[in-house]
Amino acid sequence: MRVRRVVLLVSVLGVCLLLLTLQTRGEGASAGQVVAFVTTPLQTVLTKINRSALGLWATYLDWKNVRAENRRLRAELERLRVDSLRVQETEDENGRLRRLLVLRDRLPLATIPGEVIAREWGWARSLTVNRGRGDHVLRMTPAIAPEGLVGRVVEVRSGTSIVQLLNDPASTVGATVQRTRTNGIVEGEPRGTTRFKYMARDGAAIQVGDLVVSSGLGGVFPKGIPIGLVGAIIDRGSALFHYATLTPVVDFGRLEEVLLLTGQTTQDLAAHFPTDR
Amino acid sequence: MMRSALALVIFGGGLAQTTFPPALRVGDITPDIPLILVVLLALRRGPELGCLAGFVTGLLQDAAAGGFIGAQALTKTLIGFFIGQVGGRLWVREPLVQVPGLVLLSLAEGVARFLLLQIFHFPGSFGDLMLYIVLPQSIYNGFIGAAVVLTLIGAERLRGGARWR
Repeated sequence: MRVRRVVLLVSVLGVCLLLLTLQTRGEGASAGQVVAFVTTPLQTVLTKINRSALGLWATYLDWKNVRAENRRLRAELERLRVDSLRVQETEDENGRLRRLLVLRDRLPLATIPGEVIAREWGWARSLTVNRGRGDHVLRMTPAIAPEGLVGRVVEVRSGTSIVQLLNDPASTVGATVQRTRTNGIVEGEPRGTTRFKYMARDGAAIQVGDLVVSSGLGGVFPKGIPIGLVGAIIDRGSALFHYATLTPVVDFGRLEEVLLLTGQTTQDLAAHFPTDR
Repeated sequence: MMRSALALVIFGGGLAQTTFPPALRVGDITPDIPLILVVLLALRRGPELGCLAGFVTGLLQDAAAGGFIGAQALTKTLIGFFIGQVGGRLWVREPLVQVPGLVLLSLAEGVARFLLLQIFHFPGSFGDLMLYIVLPQSIYNGFIGAAVVLTLIGAERLRGGARWR
């Protein structure tokens, strides 16, 4: 066994030395060619495998990069969406405030703008506005929006006020149908709707779509502030009065800002509100 | 089957050195894969296969590199034989042995090759060769060899099969 090993070693070393010797005598080219004859096809195959593997690796890296980029782009898209929403929100707020400002400038009485900071949407329907005693807000101060009447202040606190909405069941506002000058009272209902009551049967002649505005009677609300549009007229036949359901001109659920009318006026304010409904 | 696999490993390993270096290069250094292969085979299969593997891989390297055919064949033959002989007495499971062991072997192979090539008036300076080629390659070999041995040990543990020598 040991001898065999030594013989093998010596033989191999002999071959190596022979090859080296051949090369020193200028016959290296043929020795190289013989070895190359065996190695070249193998090298070709290995190179192909190598290139395929590298190609696969490059594809994997590409895929990984694309995935990372995709993730980054998604995050960016998400951020941009949030930014876009923020911009939209700011734009909306700008629009609302601008309209409020325009109304405020046009109205012939003192007003205070207030931001809605809370809502009560249960048995009572009210808004909390960030203006209170410190801003000289008094109880019964009317609250309006650029579209029309919102309600009245029913409670004043140090920094906030509670505005009772028109659709609160306890809310009543003296109102007039703008076209026919039919008087009545707008009341809130427990289900959150409003109706125009106590219209005298004779000469009412109101129609669906008629605008109902504040009458100015009672001294709380100035005259001519839009309240709602007649949605349906309920005629009970023999009853002395009939009534109409109203669609408020103000979307109470979306109100963000209101104007509190701290001043007094006897003027009809209808001209200061939009007429296209 | 086993012989074919061995032959493939030896041939593949011998040629991989000249075919795959870009994938393995760190800076300007490439490991001597055939040397690592020869050492591993010699440790597992003894001096005869170590000697033959060294010869074949070295010869292929010589041919592929276009240098003196037989120089690396000779040095790797000696390395394969030597490691096959003494391998049983080495604690090759220990990384503390593997890394310095392979570094030393690589250095020895480099020195041996240089001495051999001196017979043929090889022009390179010993200092430069050692500093810029042999020493960095030896260190790289040490780590790659250790990684390979540890991988094999891990694979064997997973398989629950024979222990690495």
